[in-house]
Amino acid sequence: MTLREALLRGRNRPRILGGGSPTTSRGDGYEFVQLRGYLIGDDVRRIDWAATARSGALQTRVMLEDIALIFAAICDRSPSMRLGRRRALADAADDAVAAWFGASGGEDRAIALLSQGPVPNRARPGRSGAALAREALRTQREEDFDPNALFDIATATLPRGAALLLVTDAAGAERSEDARLAEIALRYDATLALARDPWQSDLPLHGFARLVDVESGEPYLRWFGKRERDTYRRASVAREEEVVRRFARFGWRTGILEESDGTAALAEAFGIPRGALD
Amino acid sequence: MSFGAPGWLLAAALLVALGLWAFERARRVRDARDLAYSDLAFLRRTLGERDRFGALLRGAWIAGLALAALALARPHLLLPVPVHDGAVVLCIDTSGSMASTDIVPTRALAARAAATRFIEEMARGERVAIVAFSGAASVVQPLTARHAAAIAALDTLPAPNGPTAIGDALALAGTLLGQRGPRTVVLVTDGVNNTGIDPLAAASTLGERGIHVDTVGIGTNSGSLIPGTSEAAGIDDAALRAYARASGGRFVRVENSSELRGALGALGRVTSFERKSVDVSLAAAFVGALLLALAAFAAVGLGRIS
Repeated sequence: MTLREALLRGRNRPRILGGGSPTTSRGDGYEFVQLRGYLIGDDVRRIDWAATARSGALQTRVMLEDIALIFAAICDRSPSMRLGRRRALADAADDAVAAWFGASGGEDRAIALLSQGPVPNRARPGRSGAALAREALRTQREEDFDPNALFDIATATLPRGAALLLVTDAAGAERSEDARLAEIALRYDATLALARDPWQSDLPLHGFARLVDVESGEPYLRWFGKRERDTYRRASVAREEEVVRRFARFGWRTGILEESDGTAALAEAFGIPRGALD
Repeated sequence: MSFGAPGWLLAAALLVALGLWAFERARRVRDARDLAYSDLAFLRRTLGERDRFGALLRGAWIAGLALAALALARPHLLLPVPVHDGAVVLCIDTSGSMASTDIVPTRALAARAAATRFIEEMARGERVAIVAFSGAASVVQPLTARHAAAIAALDTLPAPNGPTAIGDALALAGTLLGQRGPRTVVLVTDGVNNTGIDPLAAASTLGERGIHVDTVGIGTNSGSLIPGTSEAAGIDDAALRAYARASGGRFVRVENSSELRGALGALGRVTSFERKSVDVSLAAAFVGALLLALAAFAAVGLGRIS
């Protein structure tokens, strides 16, 4: 199953009614999903007569609708995404965004949500739209990340049922408000790719060492021994788990974005093989 | 505190300012090499809010600079230094009232034990003499630096008997002490002066010569009778305090043998030291350099980023 198929299966609107639902392109759908007993209201053209004959009761073919999807993405470009052990988290985020928009089909629309507004401003279907949106996210200027403001832009510009990807780290994710998370999950098929703390496995500080906050520039000096590193590792894991739990509680898909492979976060979130995203 | 070269204080202030500037510059250089981190607030919550190590480091750096700079001005401090050429005369009352048993076993024996402790606490090389007095004063041990001999001489103290001639004892002690060096008379008595010359005048004379008279009053408030008499073994606190004050010495009142041992032991330690103006430049420079080295090492040498 591809990411797009997974999105289609996961749509929140009525999607497995035998009678189908409004689509943006012509046709009644092409992908068979299952057979089920006939329900009043089903399109009689969907009745599978052979199956009806075999079972002795009316059977309806359930199809996935052949519709255009809207791929939207928000990507955190705050200074903290510059960090990483061997590779910047921002590069891994680019991978995830590329895989996200890369999953879009010819009639799908791709929209990058920036603090200035959505790009493209007008829906542009096809591969060029995906490339534009991806480029817009990749080249957006580095700035403080405000997920709530971006959620507001999303609700103002995206139609219901769109697929929305949010790529950020724990600090960014923690800034989001519960009410907005719930609203986004209600309107859209929402996915969080949570960038993992690069120092989670082992804080690389030993002895009397200093670090500096990449966002505020504030230095911090203290002794880092084994106890401090262990405490940090536990706290970082707990923090990540808490963020994932919180988003999942509101109905978001979640995946962890590793600096080495940003695409794997989408595979994890959608429960599809990693290879399906290449 | 006084300064041997106060002109250097200005240079010291400039040095401190220069050090602060260098510290700030070094901090900025180091900042460029610090580990970039995404969320300091989270780290603080996790590992503790207060940057005690940083404050300690800055404090050590500034204190080190200040001490090193201060050393240039050759600071002098009034410090207690061991007395090696000092002399002490122990005047021990052997009047009849010292046979009183309100201090166990008797005042005389308790005074002898406490005097032993006093001599043991004296600094090596400090000389001690022992004067016994009742109706008259006599030298039991001339000034000697051999403390063991002085302790042995305490065994030759006369048995308690007779009146109390405090003034005579102080005058005799004055003749034993020379004209130079730290000199002290320690008067151990339980009684009221009732014969001989005026003790206050004798104490004042000693004070004028720079000799302190430390007085130790022995006896309980309830007192007791002098054995074999119907006379109370009294004590004149006010007079003993006056003798001490007249000579710049201290007065101590004790009511049991342990207090007496403690008081004389403390006096022994006190008389072993004198307050002198000491040049502490070297110590200040050393401690300052040590602090600077520690702070610099901690700031740049101890931590590493793997």
